[in-house]
Amino acid sequence: MRITQNMMSNIFVSNLRKQTEAMLQRQEEIASQKRINRPSDDPSGMGRVLAGRSTLASIGQYTDNIKQGKTRLEFTEQTLKLVDDLVQQARRVAEEKSGNSVTAEERQFAAAQVKEILDQVRQLANSKFGDRYMFSGHQTDTAPFQVDDLSDPYTVSYKGDDGSFRFPIADGVEVTVDADGRNFFQNGADGGVNIFDQLRDLIAGLENTDLEGGTTQIRATIDPLEDAHVQIMNKRSEAGPKLYRLQATAEHWVNLKNTVQAAIGREEDVDATQAIIELKNLETAYQSTMAAASRIIQPSLVNFLK
Amino acid sequence: MTNLFGVLNIGTSALLLQQRAINVTGNNIANVNTPGYSRQRLNIETASPVASAVGPVGFGVRSAGVERIYDRFLGVQLNSENANLGRWEAQKGMLDRVEVVFDESGGYGLNQALSDFWNSWQDLSLNPSGSTERSMVAATSQGLADTIRKKYSDLEQIQEDIDIAVEGGVEDVNRLAAQIADLNRKIASTETSGTNANDYRDSRDLALKKLSEIIDIKSFEDANGQMVVSVGSGRPLVENGNTWRLSTQTNADGHTEIIWPDINGGAVNISAEITGGRIGGWRQTRDTKIAGYQDDLDALAEKLMEKVNEIHADGYGLDGTTDIDLFTGSGAADMQVNPEILEDLNLIAASATAAGAPGNASNAIAINALRTSPTMDGAATFDTAANTLVSQVGYDVQAAKANASHQADMMTYLENYRESVSGVSLDEEMVNLVKFEAAYNAAAKMVSMADEMLDSLMNIIR
Repeated sequence: MRITQNMMSNIFVSNLRKQTEAMLQRQEEIASQKRINRPSDDPSGMGRVLAGRSTLASIGQYTDNIKQGKTRLEFTEQTLKLVDDLVQQARRVAEEKSGNSVTAEERQFAAAQVKEILDQVRQLANSKFGDRYMFSGHQTDTAPFQVDDLSDPYTVSYKGDDGSFRFPIADGVEVTVDADGRNFFQNGADGGVNIFDQLRDLIAGLENTDLEGGTTQIRATIDPLEDAHVQIMNKRSEAGPKLYRLQATAEHWVNLKNTVQAAIGREEDVDATQAIIELKNLETAYQSTMAAASRIIQPSLVNFLK
Repeated sequence: MTNLFGVLNIGTSALLLQQRAINVTGNNIANVNTPGYSRQRLNIETASPVASAVGPVGFGVRSAGVERIYDRFLGVQLNSENANLGRWEAQKGMLDRVEVVFDESGGYGLNQALSDFWNSWQDLSLNPSGSTERSMVAATSQGLADTIRKKYSDLEQIQEDIDIAVEGGVEDVNRLAAQIADLNRKIASTETSGTNANDYRDSRDLALKKLSEIIDIKSFEDANGQMVVSVGSGRPLVENGNTWRLSTQTNADGHTEIIWPDINGGAVNISAEITGGRIGGWRQTRDTKIAGYQDDLDALAEKLMEKVNEIHADGYGLDGTTDIDLFTGSGAADMQVNPEILEDLNLIAASATAAGAPGNASNAIAINALRTSPTMDGAATFDTAANTLVSQVGYDVQAAKANASHQADMMTYLENYRESVSGVSLDEEMVNLVKFEAAYNAAAKMVSMADEMLDSLMNIIR
């Protein structure tokens, strides 16, 4: 084959271009520590990275949801514990003040105490989580337990609805938390105790000027108040399995997050050792191309003719 | 008849011829780096012998014309590969820009906008009456609509840039076609006298090569040495000294089409016939690739608006308002968040009932559930459809890069083959130079010897 100087420089230039392009690619990989710097670097890898990122984003959101849900369950639990203490306190008052030897003055004093208890229970039943009422169903901007008639301050009525608090913890999986205040404090679902009514009756019994009639009224509240304790305990125990479920799901998300992150890393992160070795190889090839070119391109017959 | 003057004549012819050969060699050296130049050779033959007593005796040397060395079949192949190179380089150049539009490697883009959108609905489901959560839903909905719209308009911008490039390309085609026609005329007038129009032919080959990079052409040299060039499905562009001027026209989509004038002066749209060269590559990128991405974006936007609006309109806002769309618009180009919602965030329908408005999040949960629903064609989710689009762009850029690089290698190979046949080798030329110089010196010596001999002859007479 007939060879001319231009062929040599053409081949030299085109190889040099390829080598510098490859070096730039490796350099970018090493500098960004990423194998995929644009979709065309590895289109299917990019697709997997993006799918992984979508998964990570939803894991983050589910983890946040679980955190909020847990806080709400724990808050409910704390509130119910306080209500339980107060109800038990009221029951003790009823037991202690139901004796025939209790004087009218003592009963008056106890009545004041139970009024306090009723107020406190109502306050707790109107607890807010953030700026939303916890026990008013979906009517989260309405205080659930209100006194309708100020002349009858111990009769409390429910203003919420039967809505429940739901939040997603996984794709298509939701946790439902009871938010219907009646299930906790009034009647319950299946003929439970209306705590407010019992406390009102207790107050009425304690304030009854007819001591004997009062005694009967007071005694009638003891058993229901004991049932109220059980009713609240049952509601409290509902939180246990839910908290456990949230905990287990949260752990699943933590594990999955690590797995997905590792998978994304395998997909898009550069193998530093390999990249540097490849760069070193390219550098060697580049330098030898230059060295060869400098020997071959320069001389022509011109240099040897006098 | 041989005599001393004959010797002088031979010497003169040799001197002139070697000088001409050095001239040709010098011209080769001068054009060693000229693009498209084919090396030239002085064809040498013996002059007609003269009769003498001892039979015909040589009467010196004469030139049989300057010839250029080239492979007449290489040109056609070179031009068709060059059209492929132009096509893939044009695609690569424009798709590189499309790739920037869909660059999600940094973590910002369609994927992120969709994730933010879905997550904001989950946040809202935890606190359906929260004003922060509501404004987040409005912000991420806007972010999503903006992202889709921006990508769509970025793609339109690239299409418009392609339109401008096509117009420039058509001007180049006309300019080069005129050049070829002009060279056709020059070659015809030069070669009627029987000489070779070497340099004009080189220029014409070069113009043809440049033309083939811009548009795919068919060309052949007719019996009279005239180059005939046609475009598209055999529509003439150059014949002898005549050209058909291409022009451009804007179609219904606002894009540039290529028009060829028929014999009656009518305009024939030949866009679809052009598949190679830069113009072919641009056209494919604009009408197939980018239009395809736009269709995908449109499908995503339309389905997203349809599904989200369907659920949203069924739900109730904080104030009990119902039947409100979250998104307005008809596709990716004009997707917007309903301005009514931006004005009054209470209209965001998180609730599934009018009565349970503030705490009911069923509708928010239902919208979030769309994230994992196989709503798109091929049972893909919105997220998958968006990711697939990004991957598709990646595949197309990768293919264009690989093809452009392969074509470039092919061209390097063919150019080197052409160089091997037609290129100037300085070594060769130096050898020739020395050879012709030596011959010239020897011829000069012969002339001076003949002169001395004539001198001696004259002295006899004196």
